[in-house]
Amino acid sequence: MVCVSWLMTGCSGPGSNSETTASDSSAGHKATLRVLFAGSLIIPFAQLEKEFEAGHPTIDVNMEGHGSIQAVRIVGDLDESADLVITADYRLVPLLLYAANNPDTGLPYASWNVVFATNKMVLAYAPHSRFADEVDEQNWPDVIARPGVRVGCSDPRLDANGYRALMTVKLAERVYGRPTLFADIFGGIFRIPIRVSRNGDSDLISVPEVLETKSGSDLVLRPYSVSLLPLLKSGDIDYAFEYESVARQHGLNYLALPAEINLGDTAREEDYAAVTVKLDFQRFTSVKPEFAGEIIRYSATIPSNSSEPEAAAELLAFLLGPEGQRVMAENFQPMIVPVVADNLEAVPEAVKMYCAED
Amino acid sequence: MNRLRTLSRMDWAFSFAGLMLVLFIVLPLIATILASNPSEFASGVGDVGVLASLWLTFFAALLATLIALVVGLPLAYLLARRDFPGKNVIQGIIDLPIIIPHTAAGVALLMVFGRRGLLGGPFASLGLYFTENLAGIVVAMLFVSLPLLVDTARESFSRVDPRLEGVARTLGATHWTAFRKVTLPLAWRGIVSGSVLMWARGISEFGAVVILAYNPKTISVLIYERFAGFGLAAALPVTALLLVLALIILVLTRTVLLPRKRKHSRPDSRSRGSRGDPR
Repeated sequence: MVCVSWLMTGCSGPGSNSETTASDSSAGHKATLRVLFAGSLIIPFAQLEKEFEAGHPTIDVNMEGHGSIQAVRIVGDLDESADLVITADYRLVPLLLYAANNPDTGLPYASWNVVFATNKMVLAYAPHSRFADEVDEQNWPDVIARPGVRVGCSDPRLDANGYRALMTVKLAERVYGRPTLFADIFGGIFRIPIRVSRNGDSDLISVPEVLETKSGSDLVLRPYSVSLLPLLKSGDIDYAFEYESVARQHGLNYLALPAEINLGDTAREEDYAAVTVKLDFQRFTSVKPEFAGEIIRYSATIPSNSSEPEAAAELLAFLLGPEGQRVMAENFQPMIVPVVADNLEAVPEAVKMYCAED
Repeated sequence: MNRLRTLSRMDWAFSFAGLMLVLFIVLPLIATILASNPSEFASGVGDVGVLASLWLTFFAALLATLIALVVGLPLAYLLARRDFPGKNVIQGIIDLPIIIPHTAAGVALLMVFGRRGLLGGPFASLGLYFTENLAGIVVAMLFVSLPLLVDTARESFSRVDPRLEGVARTLGATHWTAFRKVTLPLAWRGIVSGSVLMWARGISEFGAVVILAYNPKTISVLIYERFAGFGLAAALPVTALLLVLALIILVLTRTVLLPRKRKHSRPDSRSRGSRGDPR
């Protein structure tokens, strides 16, 4: 769910658990981990929690799915304690956790970040979607631009999937030779428009502070990409920009998009860099974040205010190790192996063995 | 002071418990208002988006309440006055929205009012839609808040002595006239109180609304969006403004619309909108 309560504290107390395990946690102490993670991982992480807890009876994992930006903000802005923060865009961690200090310790909320998974943008649809019987990898730009075809997109101000959808559509203009595609889909429907400016060879997409669709618009926004799925099922939208893993987990019909625009092919980084999304308003710490096009990179960190850093490192090692890789593969979530650390020195020992330096 | 001295120990204990509860409600309001400085608060009040959203929210909740009055009052009357098979089931169904989590209610409504839904499908062929517009917001608010109106109205109907209707009937009034001229005026306080409750509940609804309509934004969606996208500082002024408005509305209802004077009512708690069962 989108709005899982963040009120549950990550506190832990002495438990009455008398079992001893091979875990680092001392016997009799039950560690409770609070994991804030990107909503697109909700299905694999439910399985991960179950399997991890089965092997680690002294550790209780509380999973909280959020939009990536929100997950990071719970620590960096609300000063809540968390034991593991997992985002769908690794850049959010330096932006919001390295840059902010925990007032209690004077230290940044995080000092390292490991990139461990990727994904691909796809166009999901349902069997009853308009033109479902004729849409294909070639003609989808025409189909979704047709009047009356309703397209779902998550809010680029709240969700990484949202600004990635903007990139994918902009990149598709060149690949499909349709220079007005972005304007056809996102133009003229917002009270305050999303502006595109040409900057040398790259395009800068500026998202305004207020993003409100005009009535009768064929574009439907939702805070997070997973909240588009019920609308797809109910027929209120015909097509939605989603991650491939999510589309497959939910058994949706979807179109794979070409490598040049799906943000999932390392060989295409240069193509992706031709577009940048700027959130054009003061936000959190008076920054106006810019996200240059690049491949999708999920990342993980243990915030400095974690009350159970050892247990958190165990869980992260489990995620990055063979068990976690199998769980992710079973749920169509592609991993990046080896994991890439930006500050290998600071990474906990249990996690280090899966990492390579940036 | 005399009055204080007559308080028993139990009264003191109960008052203490009650005070804790009152503080529990009041403290977050005070903290929010204190945390947003006056200039931010003013910017919240002056923000066109915020005002438009407030107006939309109040209006949508009003529409939902009016709809519930038209279709809910007759049902409330039947439930109060008549016995019929399945009455308990109907009563249970009416109360169902109270216990359904509101996000689940939103999804369920989507399955009925969505473009391919049971009702949404036929409506869509007429060009009427229930997502991303006022109609969707009203449907969501209506669903989650109608039990408040129906239950309160049912109780106030059942507190009107049925013999009064009987007297009116013997004097030649039709069923309609007796209802309109006798029962309705005697029950109106409860009905108004239930309407205000329902309206207020509609205003506060988030879970179901955000599933049917993210745009146009109601005030609860706007607060959530500011909080999620722009941080605590951005959400505070709007939140404070809404809390102050809610307080004003509540005070006005209690003092102007539903004054404590109870000239004609029987000595019960009817005018306070109590939901206590008279039977």
